[in-house]
Amino acid sequence: MRVGKIITAVCTVILAGMVLMGCGGEEKKPAATENAKDTSPIKVGGLTDLSGPTSSVGVPYSAGLKDAVKYINENGGIDGRMIEFDLQDTAYNVQQGLSLYKKMVNTDKVVCIQGYGSAVTEALIRNLSKDKVPNFSASYSAHLTDPKKAPYNFFIAADYTTQLRAALKYFRDNWKEARAPKLAFIYPDHPYGIGPIKGGKAYAEELGYEIVGDANVSLKAIDATTELLPLKEAAPDFCWIGGTTPSTSVILKSAKNIGMDTVFFTNIWGSDENLFKLAGDDANGAYSNQAAAVYGQNVPGMKVIEKLTNGEHQMTHYVRGFVSVLVMAEGMKRAAANGPMTGEAIKNSLETMRDFDPMGLAPLISYFPDDHRPNMAVFIYTVKNGELTFVKEEILERRADWLGH
Amino acid sequence: MQGKCGLFFTSYRGEAQIFQSGFQKLMVGLFILVLLAAPAVLNVHLTSIMNLIFIAVIGAVSLNLLTGVCGQISLGHGAFIGVGAYAAGQCTLHGVPFPLAILVAGLITAMVGMVFGVPSLRLKGIYLAIATLAAQLVLEYVFLHGGVLTGGSNGLLLDPPTILGFSFDTDARMYYLLFFFAAASLLMVSNIMRTKYGRAFVSIRDFYLSAEIVGVNLFRYKLAAFGLSSFLAGVAGGLWGHYTGYISAEQFNIGLSISYLAMIIIGGLGTVLGSVFGAVFIVLLPEVLNVLANSVGGYFPDIAQSIVALREGVFGLVLILFLIFEPEGLAHRWRLIKAYWKLYPFAH
Repeated sequence: MRVGKIITAVCTVILAGMVLMGCGGEEKKPAATENAKDTSPIKVGGLTDLSGPTSSVGVPYSAGLKDAVKYINENGGIDGRMIEFDLQDTAYNVQQGLSLYKKMVNTDKVVCIQGYGSAVTEALIRNLSKDKVPNFSASYSAHLTDPKKAPYNFFIAADYTTQLRAALKYFRDNWKEARAPKLAFIYPDHPYGIGPIKGGKAYAEELGYEIVGDANVSLKAIDATTELLPLKEAAPDFCWIGGTTPSTSVILKSAKNIGMDTVFFTNIWGSDENLFKLAGDDANGAYSNQAAAVYGQNVPGMKVIEKLTNGEHQMTHYVRGFVSVLVMAEGMKRAAANGPMTGEAIKNSLETMRDFDPMGLAPLISYFPDDHRPNMAVFIYTVKNGELTFVKEEILERRADWLGH
Repeated sequence: MQGKCGLFFTSYRGEAQIFQSGFQKLMVGLFILVLLAAPAVLNVHLTSIMNLIFIAVIGAVSLNLLTGVCGQISLGHGAFIGVGAYAAGQCTLHGVPFPLAILVAGLITAMVGMVFGVPSLRLKGIYLAIATLAAQLVLEYVFLHGGVLTGGSNGLLLDPPTILGFSFDTDARMYYLLFFFAAASLLMVSNIMRTKYGRAFVSIRDFYLSAEIVGVNLFRYKLAAFGLSSFLAGVAGGLWGHYTGYISAEQFNIGLSISYLAMIIIGGLGTVLGSVFGAVFIVLLPEVLNVLANSVGGYFPDIAQSIVALREGVFGLVLILFLIFEPEGLAHRWRLIKAYWKLYPFAH
């Protein structure tokens, strides 16, 4: 059959392509001499989700990464060396991420990775420390902040548990009534949702909250009435939502439908500029934890972003991607000042960083050799008339017993 | 039995050989030599792709034994691989030597597989598929809420395999270890298919009633199929966990089960060679699409993102095309190619 021959031909071409891939790709050696200043590009790999289940936030995050690289290069690069950024799509698939990582580190010789997504980031932990390549990811799981377990993992936002703790502190400080505030937790039965719950509950009890219930709402839920009805009976004053923007909107709408009177607050992936589009007026009054400024906010770095994007509005994920590259570049600048640019040198330089200000776009960032928590600060926003409105920067103490939890 | 020209058998044993002619043995020997020499030629990236293929081959051949040979559809294979990964991980974390850990992982997964295989006596086809889907969901829940046993949402960090003090901590070293396990798995399944068990599995797949009438104990053999298949799935999981160095619940989701089903459909149901072809195809497909997206992206920078987004669609399209035009899989195509050259230039 003709089609059969076509399939045979396609398979042959694919195999031939793979063989050629193996044969080609000779490394070009930088033409630097000992006396001349090294002007070869610094290679950085990007492993984000552009087509998979989390691509709706992966795409704006990646745009932030790319624009920040452009900004760094336009302003002289790293000690005269340009950043060569190779952004690839993992589709949130571990196998794909692992394969791309091996290519980037072993063939392309990248010295740093800009990563994204828990599944891929966590699957790379061991490889990163073996290859001595730092990975800045947008996966803010607390256990990635412990250098004993993940020495080459970095990120620029407070981890999920710290964010939850900071919001709890904020609400407790502003609680006026004599009785203990009642608190409930809504999260998906998913590693990302469950991660911060244990630490959050322990701190809530420490602060004097009364925990009145839990509910599991899937990230793919289209209605949450059944899950919320028992919580309505418990009448919590505050409800934590540990989901994504779509699941948060479902929860907010269902809560409105059943007349639930509570203050909702969400973590970093639980609200963005799309929340109001999805939930409409039901989103008003909800609080959101964020680790970066929203577009148009009056901070120095926003002028740069507005210029780069020609005033076209970008999501808050974009800003975090931008900050991630700014912090990486600062680490590289410090490494360049001390000697050859290697992954290990970048890691060691990052660990000397104290209160680095990413142009006001995020809270001040510090890393320590035994503590990779970038900060203990969270920006708290509230949805007011369809916009994320800045409320307060809540800063917690850097408690040793919270590291990695 | 369709033999080559000039090949005559004087015994049943001779006819049942895996490699019947000297030429076949020579070719397989050369192929093995090429594979053994490959890490010296391939770069680390390509070696790592080969490693992923070896792990996929073990998983695919195990599912093919259950679904292709015995006809028991399973949508829980990804979770069974997960059971093996966690079991082997816990063993090595507690100081059990790696080979023993893999064996224990296989045995534990076999037991779990047999428990979920019990409904197979009463359920067939789509009903069994849903029952095994339930196994997938139950096991995913256990992975996520297993406390210290599975590391919960944090997962487990594992060290590279070590055998008698030798650490398989590079891709090239892992290559040989995975090659050994993949070859052993293929040999194991090939041999199972030649035994009483293999024939009983095929008879159950072809028509369960006839099988029962000729004396095949359906329950026993179906459970054996689940057990043997899950054993190999456990081995694949143990190897995957120690290769990546990290396991979490997210890795063993329904997507992985579907991916393995796709491998055996594309490769060819019921054949050992089909499992290999399917594994190679599915592991290479995203790599090739990536290369294509990157090469086109070089000429049209703005179009790269759209091509990237097409990848999932291309994957689905490839599956549909295979089901329509090549329902017997790549193994069947391979047989046709061989026949073509055997008869060349007198095809008709």
